[in-house]
Amino acid sequence: MRRVAITGMGVVCPLGHSLTEVWEDACAGRSAIQRLQGQGRERLASPIAAAVDFDGALHFDPPKLRMLDRVSQFALVAARHAMAQAGYATLPGPASRAGVFLGTGMGGIGSIDEGYRTLYGEQSDRIKPFTILLGMHNAPAAWTAMEFGFSGPNMTYSTACSSSAVAIGEAWLRLARGEIDVALAGGTEAPLALGSMKAWEALRTVASVDVQEPSASCKPFSRNRSGMVLGEGAAMLVLEPWDMAKARDAQIHGEVIGYGLFTDVGHMTRPSAAGQSAAMQAALDSAGITAAEIDAINAHGTGTEANDSAETSAIRAVFGAHADRLAISATKAIHGHLLGAGSALEAVLSVLSMQHATALPTMHLDQRDAACDLDYVPHCARAMPIRTMLSNSFAFGGTNAVLALRAPALA
Amino acid sequence: MSPSSPTSPPSNTYERLCAILAKDYKLTPEQLTPDAPLESLGIDSLGVADLLFNVEDEFGISLPPEPVQLETVGEVAAFIDRLIAAPASFDGSPPSSSAPPQAS
Repeated sequence: MRRVAITGMGVVCPLGHSLTEVWEDACAGRSAIQRLQGQGRERLASPIAAAVDFDGALHFDPPKLRMLDRVSQFALVAARHAMAQAGYATLPGPASRAGVFLGTGMGGIGSIDEGYRTLYGEQSDRIKPFTILLGMHNAPAAWTAMEFGFSGPNMTYSTACSSSAVAIGEAWLRLARGEIDVALAGGTEAPLALGSMKAWEALRTVASVDVQEPSASCKPFSRNRSGMVLGEGAAMLVLEPWDMAKARDAQIHGEVIGYGLFTDVGHMTRPSAAGQSAAMQAALDSAGITAAEIDAINAHGTGTEANDSAETSAIRAVFGAHADRLAISATKAIHGHLLGAGSALEAVLSVLSMQHATALPTMHLDQRDAACDLDYVPHCARAMPIRTMLSNSFAFGGTNAVLALRAPALA
Repeated sequence: MSPSSPTSPPSNTYERLCAILAKDYKLTPEQLTPDAPLESLGIDSLGVADLLFNVEDEFGISLPPEPVQLETVGEVAAFIDRLIAAPASFDGSPPSSSAPPQAS
């Protein structure tokens, strides 16, 4: 198996459009969750979300923009940033050995929502010709491959909230086995269409608005938490074999060292601590490391009662006494739940944490839940050496996916 | 595209078509000439389908189901004019008794 380096990272997310912006906001605990403006907000019980300040017209020519749902726009811009950081002059080999691995839970739901509004709301049959192309889940990956000429595997994974962890993990496997020589891997999501938000509300997983401070509405691991807050955006990583990255003198930002999957087969939405711990153990096993080598975890940490207590139990089951020495960060408190893009953004935040030797804070953790008794790094970032991390992602449908990541200095 | 007063609507098919292209594709009057290839304006074969959808709304006409090959702005305008003049001549069927689709 070949080692796999992370040589590029790009983000378009509620915290910003550059790694610097995102890191500074994450460190300071500045939440991007806001009250929603615009049409339809009065129909939402919780009109809050972490939206991206984004104008596609600044990034794409008008004819192309008409063919891109917001979900593809995010993916393409994040991929451009990642490729720019990776600094390829040309691809390292045949285009057929360059692949795109992308996760999305809801694809072009905004375009589908618009089509339904036309059809059912306006009672018109004038569905736009591009509706299928805008809405299909594999559109972001297809556009990404076209833009960069990646002719190898073009894979879209849709495992709800673990989609982009699966995408990165599957890319890692292909690279490690020597099947490809470069991958753009990550996730994208644009779920803030009214129909989508109403559907999430109906599931009763969305946080109620913190009236005093709406930006603090998502409170992972806190006794007064009330659920998740939807977010949008994309995060993409350039992955390549370690030796090839070294040979071309690329800057290595981190290393993917393991990937664990375990599927709950008990319930569609109820998290299973056993399933989560099995996925974490699988990630450790695939990396060939022990639990004691992990310094920190970017938790799934959605801020739902079911997740937070299950995840805490799962971490204790895997790490035993070492669990109390782990710095556990739940960054969804400030960037919201990006669903299919969440894992990729949290993987990027994990790499930045290792680079900066800083554990990110879990914000709005004012009243720790009795069932949540780990060190969640409440309120303030913490300077500490972080050599190896896990990034947890657990999903409706039961696909638990965990990435094991290592700092470049150790790698 | 011939100049027209900003307060008066475009007066013919070509100008109305150019107004769509300027609004939806952000094309400038300098780019919009009758001979301008659509491809050079960033409108490929898929884009033509999108453009014709908007043309249907703007002109209140219904396109024939058969695919059409249109290469330039002028060809699109001429195609629209032919449809307006003889809406049934493209598929050989008699004129439809139903009203054409209206802009939504």
